Amino acid sequence: MALDPDRIDAEFYDALRRHYSDEEIVELGAFIGFNIGYHTFFGTLDFYPMFSPDGRLVSQEESARIYGAKPVSLEKTNEAADKRR
Amino acid sequence: MLGFAALIPTYDALPTYDALNMHIEPLKAEEIRDPELNALIARCEVLGVPDAVFPRILARVPAYAKALLRALLVSHVEGNMDHRLKEVIRVQLARTAGDPYFAGLRSARARQLGLDEETIAAGSARFEDDARFTAAEKWALRYAREMYLNPEKVDAAFYAEGKRHYSEAQIMELGAFIAFHYGMQVFMRVVGAHHREGA
Repeated sequence: MALDPDRIDAEFYDALRRHYSDEEIVELGAFIGFNIGYHTFFGTLDFYPMFSPDGRLVSQEESARIYGAKPVSLEKTNEAADKRR
Repeated sequence: MLGFAALIPTYDALPTYDALNMHIEPLKAEEIRDPELNALIARCEVLGVPDAVFPRILARVPAYAKALLRALLVSHVEGNMDHRLKEVIRVQLARTAGDPYFAGLRSARARQLGLDEETIAAGSARFEDDARFTAAEKWALRYAREMYLNPEKVDAAFYAEGKRHYSEAQIMELGAFIAFHYGMQVFMRVVGAHHREGA
């Protein structure tokens, strides 16, 4: 859905239905869509988790050092955008 | 506010869509018995965004359907940003997502407020040079376009420019609207709902 939506065709749905009901596929699809939309938006806001992996409340600066200044998901989104252009 | 909460659903048929093309079939009207969900679907039908197809697909998961439809309506119709601008942005996003379903829908309320097809089309074209949009509206249209095509351009300088036109609350309202509607459009693209030929 995020990188190559054209690959989600009838054959793909047939494969999904071997594992999940239509109700579960709708739940999963809406959940994925929601996350595709929001995580790109969050990425532009340039904020980081409030807590370190060991549970300490940390500043945004320290959190950026811990988790990395550039989210991996944003890089992937850019690759997808390059393909669409 | 649109006074549509008490309307009874009238969506027995889905005349402009070819169900055979959809990978997930919408439920029939009589299969949806939750009164709260039916009231939300009625509100959607009166607004026109979405029509009955998206809600009836979501209705397979009623708890999801109610939460998502409520959020879809609130983010589109309520708040402190112009509904007509949101409608222009929503169609631009659907075209970016490659989703013919949401791209083909129109808000009845926006139409009542004077939004025309030419302005909607202009919002997906070279709007930077279009005198019908204010500088603030051009920033909002760029916000939507760059969010999913060039997210690296939506940086601190871009937000600083936005704050010359809008409050932080308005920018968050717009950003959340863009994120949510784009996400649902991406979902509907892979569901494969297409307007029937000639409809």
